[in-house]
Amino acid sequence: MKKMLFVLLALLIVASPLFAAGQQEKKDEPVTLNVLFYSPELAEQYNDMVAEYKKATGVTLDITVLQTDYRSVLTSRLNSGDVPDIFMSSAYADNSTYKDYVYDLSNEDFIKQIEPGALQGVISDGKVTGYPFLVQSHSFIYNKKVFRDNGITTLPKTLAEFEAVAKKLQANGVQPFATGFKEFWVLPQTAWQAIANVPTENYGGYEKFTGMLNSGTLKFKDIPQMSQLFDLLDLIKKYGGPKPNESDFNDQTSSLATGKVAMIHQGNWAEDSIRKTNPEVEIGFLAGPTGNNAATAGIMFDSNQTIRIAKDGKNRQAALDWLRWLTTSEYGRNWIPGKVKQLSPIIGAAAPDSYIAKETSALLASGAPGYPWFYQMFPTGTEQQLGAILQGYCAGLTDRAQTLEALDAAYAKIAKAAQ
Amino acid sequence: MLVFLLFTLPAFAAILVSVEIPFLMSVFSSFTKWNGLDKAQTFIGLENYKELFLDDLDMWKAFGFTLRLTLGSVLAVNLCALLLAVLLDSDIKGKNVLRAAFYVPNIISLIIIGYIWRFIFSAGFESFYQKTGWGVFMLSWLGDVKIIYFSVLMVSLWHSLGFYLVVYIAGLQTVPRDLIEASMIDGASRVRQFFSITLPLIMPSITVCVFHSLSNGLKAFDVIFSLTNGGPGNTTTTIALDIYRTAFVINRFGYGTAKSVVLFLMILILSIIQVRVFKQREVEV
Repeated sequence: MKKMLFVLLALLIVASPLFAAGQQEKKDEPVTLNVLFYSPELAEQYNDMVAEYKKATGVTLDITVLQTDYRSVLTSRLNSGDVPDIFMSSAYADNSTYKDYVYDLSNEDFIKQIEPGALQGVISDGKVTGYPFLVQSHSFIYNKKVFRDNGITTLPKTLAEFEAVAKKLQANGVQPFATGFKEFWVLPQTAWQAIANVPTENYGGYEKFTGMLNSGTLKFKDIPQMSQLFDLLDLIKKYGGPKPNESDFNDQTSSLATGKVAMIHQGNWAEDSIRKTNPEVEIGFLAGPTGNNAATAGIMFDSNQTIRIAKDGKNRQAALDWLRWLTTSEYGRNWIPGKVKQLSPIIGAAAPDSYIAKETSALLASGAPGYPWFYQMFPTGTEQQLGAILQGYCAGLTDRAQTLEALDAAYAKIAKAAQ
Repeated sequence: MLVFLLFTLPAFAAILVSVEIPFLMSVFSSFTKWNGLDKAQTFIGLENYKELFLDDLDMWKAFGFTLRLTLGSVLAVNLCALLLAVLLDSDIKGKNVLRAAFYVPNIISLIIIGYIWRFIFSAGFESFYQKTGWGVFMLSWLGDVKIIYFSVLMVSLWHSLGFYLVVYIAGLQTVPRDLIEASMIDGASRVRQFFSITLPLIMPSITVCVFHSLSNGLKAFDVIFSLTNGGPGNTTTTIALDIYRTAFVINRFGYGTAKSVVLFLMILILSIIQVRVFKQREVEV
């Protein structure tokens, strides 16, 4: 018995290089692009696109999709030399984070077919460092049926109006908000929107605003409008049910879909989960309050998710061909609006079948401001750190003055390290 | 002699390449400013350590929480495990089933346990509350900064108990029966037996378990990562999570490695002290 085992093992060892060699030979022929993406909620759509591209050109896209540890996996792959041909990141501050690795798309013909507004976030030092993947918006999503059933006909725009609506809902036994405070990314999205009007009104635009913060000439504690941000967080917490600090993304989407809560602060990526929980749900999009000025109540509207092409990859040309196909072919142009069901940054693309995308367009057309995701201009890492500090404020760990101190200290430290 | 050394060479080489050299490389990184992505690392001497000791309140808060968590879990885990081991070593019915039941959580990954408990604490407790109406289920176990320490402690206790239980049961079974019988004849009570005979004789098991729970407590990461993600605020951020964030979220690899070198030294020193102290108390039969 033992002898047989030995022979078997020996055979296995001898034969294994042969198998390996056989596999390698097969791989050589057609191009396989190595891709690292996030947003696992789009996995089906990614696969559909991959299959279509393979049919059209014979090129395989080998996609790995990750979420929470995306950044760490990407970082370790980049500095271990295992650079993906195509990868994703945020726009703005990430342009310089990955500058050593990305290919400049300025001279590619297909870039001319992208809305110039969507390109703003990826241009750095005059170079187009990435390809805006889709246009996203975040603000308050509400359940239309709940609003109707509770007799709310005028949509709120200011902080006071939001409070009045919340009060009315609470009195009727409906929880007004699901907070999402447990997710470190929901908090800053909710919070920064409340002062989205401030950089242009008082500090000469977002770039100047961020520049002043980075150099330390402007501190959060010197911005009087930070009270708008705290007021909004207080409001959501007060009307956010018995356990406001425990609500996460799943709680938000499922509570809204079932009509348990009336409003959540989320973006268009949440629509899929909401509609999967309750296909009959009717949802709408509200302009978020910036203090008590109804005219500046707007939505956060930007192209943040960015596709980047590796500069030194041997498949660079194939990766560029794929982007061209995505921008110009019929399937490619229809992929974002038709399959992903979000707004496409390509000029003249179709409108998607999505409540939030439609309401986004309607809100913008009605004159509500669409603010850029200016907090993405803050140095990499601030999102999580400042998010945790705001989370501490919501949990009652710090008061407003202490929170502002902490925000300034954390920001200064990261800005210094990023130089 | 030379031949013996020669035989250790393959193992030595493997450890050198996979452990020692990367360790020395990271010690070097801790003296640099590097974002983990740029191709060049800038040497900045002791700057990282200076910032760490003089200007990083968050890190020291994380340090404080880690120590509290470690202390709590070393005490809770060892006391509970020892007590249960004594119970399960005696002649009670169904002890094999119980032993297995206590061990099962230990074979599930802590990340998954974190998510399971996250669900239990929020959705699970809510429906318990609707069924029973007990206020304890309506507490915000993961959102209230006063309770969250106990939530974390409870989950890690629930998870790791089985492992220590097994070690203690093994230890209890090495205690010679004749000594126990002799003490019974001399009229020693159960309690006296335990403290005068059993406890000194299972000291080796206690050394191992305390050592293990101490270093696991100081390195705690996965349960925090999946259960609370360091929140609310930074109240449950442990040193390991802080290091992870410094390196991978804020992209400060140089500074992150400086922190981990300090963590390494801390674990080393604490473990040496602990093993020294406990070894002195071990007795031979």
